[in-house]
Amino acid sequence: MCKLFLSLIKKLLIMENKKMTMALFSGSLDKLTAAGIVLSGAAADDMDVDIYVLLQGARAFKKEIGDNSDKLAMAEYPDLKQEFLNSLKQLKVKTWVEFFKEAKELTNVKIHICGLAGKIWGAEKMEDFIDLADDICGIGEYITSAQEADVHLFI
Amino acid sequence: MTPEELKDLQVDKTVDARGTACPGPLLEAKKAMGTINSGQIMEVLSSDEGTKKDLPKWCTKKGHDFMGIVEEPGYFKVFMKKG
Repeated sequence: MCKLFLSLIKKLLIMENKKMTMALFSGSLDKLTAAGIVLSGAAADDMDVDIYVLLQGARAFKKEIGDNSDKLAMAEYPDLKQEFLNSLKQLKVKTWVEFFKEAKELTNVKIHICGLAGKIWGAEKMEDFIDLADDICGIGEYITSAQEADVHLFI
Repeated sequence: MTPEELKDLQVDKTVDARGTACPGPLLEAKKAMGTINSGQIMEVLSSDEGTKKDLPKWCTKKGHDFMGIVEEPGYFKVFMKKG
């Protein structure tokens, strides 16, 4: 009986999805795109993902910004922004918002916006952010999530 | 399986992911896998070089059977059986 119970527990543990925690500090076109691609990989793997949107990231999640590339800067090679955008278009690469949206459809992704970060960019309520955002949270929740994660990224 | 055997294989599902770059083919494969039954065979058409490594690894992790790759002019086909 005890053996059966143990094997059941083992089975449940193996079947449990791996967990990824991402601190998304960046609000730039290139890094958001990278985050979207990494997120797609996690979605293909059925990972449970928690994204904590910190400082500059929160600006990009504002309704009036989102994937409007005119309002997003490049973190690296800023003068090559148009070339970067042209290449993405030619390769049929999705926008960062589309990547995030698709990942949410495919796996369990929760997006938490740091309350302080939102305030810095003049966004305090959920309705100030694009639909992708799930809630506004504090830093303690991020640390707890990171402690429990199999994969932890800071982008 | 040899490329000849794979070419003669009766597939249950074809996913044409040609023209999409990484992570397109991987996500297309994942979505399509959800629509077929265990034991059914799927082929993924891709021209994205990274797919050749990505899909076999993904199959192993997800418990599907990676059957092989067949080269075609300008693209390739990845064969897999749902676990």
